Amino acid sequence: MYYQGDAGPYKLVVLIRTPQMIPGVAEIQIRSSQPGVRRIKFVPVYIVGEGSKYPPPPDVLMPSKEDPQFFSGKLWLMASGSWEVRIEAEGDKGSGAMAVPVPAAARNTLPMEKGLGAILFGLMALLVAAMVSIVGAARREGQLEPGVQAGSPQKRGARLVMAVAFVVVAGILTLGGFWWKAAAASLSDRMIYKPPQLFVSLLPDARMTLRIGESAWHTRRPDTVSTRLIPDHGHLMHLFLIRVPLMDRFYHLHPPEDQSGAFTDELPALSAGHYQIFADIVRQSGFPDTLAAELDMPETPGHPLAGDDSGVSASYLSPDANGNLVSPLSDGSRMIWEREAGSLPSNKLTWFRFRVEDADGNPVESLEPYMGMAGHAEFVRSDLTVFAHLHPDGSAPMAAVSLAEASLGKNSGASFASGANSMPGMAMSGMPAESRFAEVAFPYGFPKPGLYRIFVQVKRNGQILTGIFDARAD
Amino acid sequence: MAQASVPLESLRDGVAHSRAESAAAKIPWFVWSGLVAVSSIAFGLYWDISWHMTIGRDTFWTPAHLAIHFGGILAAFTCTYLIFSTTFGHDQAARDASVNVWGFRGPVGAFLTAWGGVTMVASAPFDNWWHNSFGLDVEILSPPHFVLGLGILAVQIGVLVLIVAEKNRAAGARRSKLTRLFLYLSGLGLFLHSMLKSEYADANLMHSAVFYRAVAIGTPTVLVAYARASGHKWGATIVSSVYTVVMLTFLWTFPLFPAQPKLGPVYTNVTHMVPMEFPLLLIVPAFVLDLVLNRFSNRGAWFQALVAGTAFLAALALVQWPFGSFLISPLARNGIFGMTNFAYQEPISMHQLAYKFRLDSTRSVFWLGMGAAWIAAFLSTRVGLAFGSWFLRIRR
Repeated sequence: MYYQGDAGPYKLVVLIRTPQMIPGVAEIQIRSSQPGVRRIKFVPVYIVGEGSKYPPPPDVLMPSKEDPQFFSGKLWLMASGSWEVRIEAEGDKGSGAMAVPVPAAARNTLPMEKGLGAILFGLMALLVAAMVSIVGAARREGQLEPGVQAGSPQKRGARLVMAVAFVVVAGILTLGGFWWKAAAASLSDRMIYKPPQLFVSLLPDARMTLRIGESAWHTRRPDTVSTRLIPDHGHLMHLFLIRVPLMDRFYHLHPPEDQSGAFTDELPALSAGHYQIFADIVRQSGFPDTLAAELDMPETPGHPLAGDDSGVSASYLSPDANGNLVSPLSDGSRMIWEREAGSLPSNKLTWFRFRVEDADGNPVESLEPYMGMAGHAEFVRSDLTVFAHLHPDGSAPMAAVSLAEASLGKNSGASFASGANSMPGMAMSGMPAESRFAEVAFPYGFPKPGLYRIFVQVKRNGQILTGIFDARAD
Repeated sequence: MAQASVPLESLRDGVAHSRAESAAAKIPWFVWSGLVAVSSIAFGLYWDISWHMTIGRDTFWTPAHLAIHFGGILAAFTCTYLIFSTTFGHDQAARDASVNVWGFRGPVGAFLTAWGGVTMVASAPFDNWWHNSFGLDVEILSPPHFVLGLGILAVQIGVLVLIVAEKNRAAGARRSKLTRLFLYLSGLGLFLHSMLKSEYADANLMHSAVFYRAVAIGTPTVLVAYARASGHKWGATIVSSVYTVVMLTFLWTFPLFPAQPKLGPVYTNVTHMVPMEFPLLLIVPAFVLDLVLNRFSNRGAWFQALVAGTAFLAALALVQWPFGSFLISPLARNGIFGMTNFAYQEPISMHQLAYKFRLDSTRSVFWLGMGAAWIAAFLSTRVGLAFGSWFLRIRR
């Protein structure tokens, strides 16, 4: 989770690495863009529901010795669901608070490492042998008066008791083994997040319908996750169609929900091929889901793109791509990736800055908000295992950000006494429609090494423009 | 001058004799050490459960964990020393009263306790892996906690065996002293045993068969085995009294310590350490057990188990059924009966569920469950008698 926001007078960039397993401990890193922040307090609470009412006392982050603008610590997330981390920064300019949405979901159970497994197995074997021997000794000598030697009845009895003890212990271990497997399976089943299935079908007249499948994981968490949807940037669903494996076609559509709960939309003109579909939705709790499906598409004449929908044709994603820094845009301008020299490390916060300039190389200064944001960026790994939809604020959906901001004003705990109203910078999500600019930047870190294609979407003169960049993360 | 005529020799003899007697009555250091160890583990476990209900944030280094580790380590060191000193030392009396395991010599209890200590230690990396793989503790009874529980059980029984072997060889004042210590430790054993079942011991379950089944499985074993092993006429009553006193002391003192949750989500705004529930009224069925077993002591073990097991379950139901009604009534919602204590994870909207009985779905389900409880009480009593007799025969 990457997030940039204002805690009162301080601009902070927050990185939260959630653990594979929830309950677990996440890593939190905060960088202040200016000096003067002395300490940062933070506390996680659910965004909505009963669990949002009583924030526990906050933890305190102190600045790092080497870099006084950098703070890091551990964040305990004890249950899956839609959390917010309330952050209060204190420093030279007073204090200010902000709330960062953090969707927490258990992703994986870890298999046991071989070394640990061997040690535990060895210990178990030793303990079994020891227990059988102790029981044998108790039978052989335990009941004799001191100094009396064990005779053959005792020795025989001990052998019998040891055999019985071994059978009992083996039985307990076998039952324990069954129990372990059952407990692990039930925990995995209850706790591991699975995105709901997305059922896609093509209709006549170049239309497509999508239906979101049931998910026990979601229904089990009616408050902290929920199954109901709320709009994000004015749309219940952000649908991305990418022709794979070459990623040479990219569409960003917004199918509306019909009365039956399905999402049906007119398709734009599409070239035939195999398409990967990603659908971003946000639940009532602020919890985001990215649903995925695949579809073989025939050549589709389609309908003209309208509203916030967009599409673009691109060159093939080549496995030996070294990356480009310039991407031509459909209105004759071009997008420049202001990439810093050097490699792109994975798992490290990086600012991805893009500038739009005209044919003569002058910044256009005429970009306008696109669905309330300066820009939208999609980072897609070549094998499709990573799909991230980013904004200049970071990876949190704006719908969740708005909920978190609202809750900060409503339910502030003792340490977060000042509500949202008293905090400049907390007032709104998104940006004013009249803003104009030439540059857009996204905070992100590639989750793993590999080849990525980045689609950067901005709006200029009412037209949606998509820049395409390839990058290799180390 | 009558006193002056007492020969000096006989006076000296008398002093020497009483010294020898007091030396003989002296309780060996390892018994005290074992008692401290088990007390520390028992207190630590209760504290840990309360910690989870109140504060939540759990690390290896919480004071509750330290109390458990201290107990485990003290027990393991005590017994390892005892085994090494018996094996390699020159104390012939100690060697004579020892058993041989893999070439080492020591009392049976020392080996059991050492085994328990090692098992407790072995559960730590297992538990750590479990946390990483399946999440931090969400339930009391996970496989690694079961291993830890086995270790604790072995330490506790090991120390009991250490004491009982000494007691069985002793006579007079020394024997009574050891019996008292044995009964105290047995009470802690029952206390530990009850913690394992606390999930089924809620007041709102006291009109369901599951409660009686949970108590009938194992609890008569503990009471009967320890009572018989103690050789005391009212052993079960005393053991359950120790349990009751410890539970009540904690129920009434833990809330005196202010504390607050350090982990979200916080559903109940807890302001002090949350104790466990009011103790079960085991003292009554335990007294009945003592009565019945004393009355039928000359009969066969199976017959004793049948009568005593049945009487135990009947007495339990007779007291616990109306007491359950009392506990869920407004009269029990105070500090004395503790029915206002809720863990921070419990949503306020769910509190009222604590005051409503969770009944069996049908009458036949209830009676089937009670039938199972009756069989469990009978078999548990029989196992208790067998263990008790074994305890009585231990000499080393």
